[in-house]
Amino acid sequence: MTERDRLAAATRAAGLRLTAADLEALRPAWKRYLALVEELRAALAPEPSND
Amino acid sequence: MAPPPTLATAPLAQVAAALRRRTVSPLELLEAYQRRIGPAAELRAFITPPGERARREAQRAQQQLARRQAGALLGVPIAVKDLFATRGLRTTAGSRILRDWVPSKDAGLVTRLRVAGAVIFGKTNLHEFAYGVTTANPWWGVARNPRDVRRSPGGSSGGSAIAVVAGLCAAALGSDTGGSIRIPASLCGCVGLKPTYGLLPLDGVVPLGWSLDHAGPLARTVEDAGILLDALSGGRAWKQAQRVTTRGLRVGILHDSVVKPVQPGVSRLVQEAAAALGRNGLRIRDVRVPEMAWTVVTQLVTLRAEASAAHARWIRARPRAYGPDVRIRLQLGALIAGADYVLAQRMRAKIKDAVRGIFDEIDVLLLPTTPITAPIVGERTVHWRSGAEPVDSALVRLTAPFNLTGVPALSVPYGEVSGLPVGLQLVGRWNDEARVLAVGRLIEALASR
Repeated sequence: MTERDRLAAATRAAGLRLTAADLEALRPAWKRYLALVEELRAALAPEPSND
Repeated sequence: MAPPPTLATAPLAQVAAALRRRTVSPLELLEAYQRRIGPAAELRAFITPPGERARREAQRAQQQLARRQAGALLGVPIAVKDLFATRGLRTTAGSRILRDWVPSKDAGLVTRLRVAGAVIFGKTNLHEFAYGVTTANPWWGVARNPRDVRRSPGGSSGGSAIAVVAGLCAAALGSDTGGSIRIPASLCGCVGLKPTYGLLPLDGVVPLGWSLDHAGPLARTVEDAGILLDALSGGRAWKQAQRVTTRGLRVGILHDSVVKPVQPGVSRLVQEAAAALGRNGLRIRDVRVPEMAWTVVTQLVTLRAEASAAHARWIRARPRAYGPDVRIRLQLGALIAGADYVLAQRMRAKIKDAVRGIFDEIDVLLLPTTPITAPIVGERTVHWRSGAEPVDSALVRLTAPFNLTGVPALSVPYGEVSGLPVGLQLVGRWNDEARVLAVGRLIEALASR
């Protein structure tokens, strides 16, 4: 599945009605969002524990 | 008797005093502002300019003044961002979707303005649904900076800042979710105050981000912003501010990655202001809040998710009824997972703790309101030596941290860079508007020396 397919699937699951052009317009923002959230996840990752 | 021509650009405090002394009448004042609105049409300050209804309110204020009735704002024309519901007066939120909405009730803050005697003086332009910081509105016109019409006034309360700076009203009401009061105040050259989260009620305000939305005044002076704050809150922050001794207060200068890069001229003015405060007996110290580096992503996730929740129905049913930039933001927000929103709130709590911590060491934080002066309309990227930054991101970089944390933040004009105004931002502890306003008034006095 390409990144574009994943985005298309996500928009359908969210109930959004997007044309192919809409999807292209949304892609840069979506990519930036994913990159930023990945950094956030890494920063807040739980400390490893011995439990 | 015609009002002196300078009264249209005079501070609200002077205007209110002239009305009380009856050296000018509310109707004369209203006409003085109205005469200026037509020639300033290209600025696109208003969506609904003041009309017959404002005239009737001014006539009523005239009768009340004749009867010596009181009211802090009696007869004073205040422009209102078109995000605040006004009974019987179209309220569009800068959108096409609400272009014909005529509310049956005033927003709570509009009621408070009326109780204080203000004349509701038109509804000002804004970024569509307050969701953006340029006021390049696709439905109601691209707003222009009164200091240079090739440039953006900022937003989202762009029309309110324009109306204040161009002398089209005595002061204005705005809202601020990521900097929407302070950014246009900074870029146009007026004072803008975002009070503590929750201090001012938001009933009747079209929501954007429920945990980030604030309302507040835009005005010509710090005193005017203080007078309006007290009228809007029913509190005494401005009265208290006048009793604050600024000598000995601790002022922190932020030295973190979030305040870099900044235009060199803007940075120089911050240093100059800090030095001037030091000469006036305030204690200047450097502070660091490394957690603020996480502001951009935390604000992005929080606001995108909350705004899309507020627009859940329309963005799915009527996506073409939004302008392209707002549509993309809302569509992105609809994709945000609950788990990511929770992550953002965890980081937000860390940022809040860090900000709480610095206020153990300082009383007021001083930083630029925006890292750049007003960009050219349509400019999308700021080119720094370190790389490119979207204009929208640059404009909110230094304001959004205080929406996430909810602390009071004031933008005060301080000098110019290449003929364009620069705003300095003063941030205080939660509910400590008094000290913020007191230091703001000092900065204002230092700027005029």
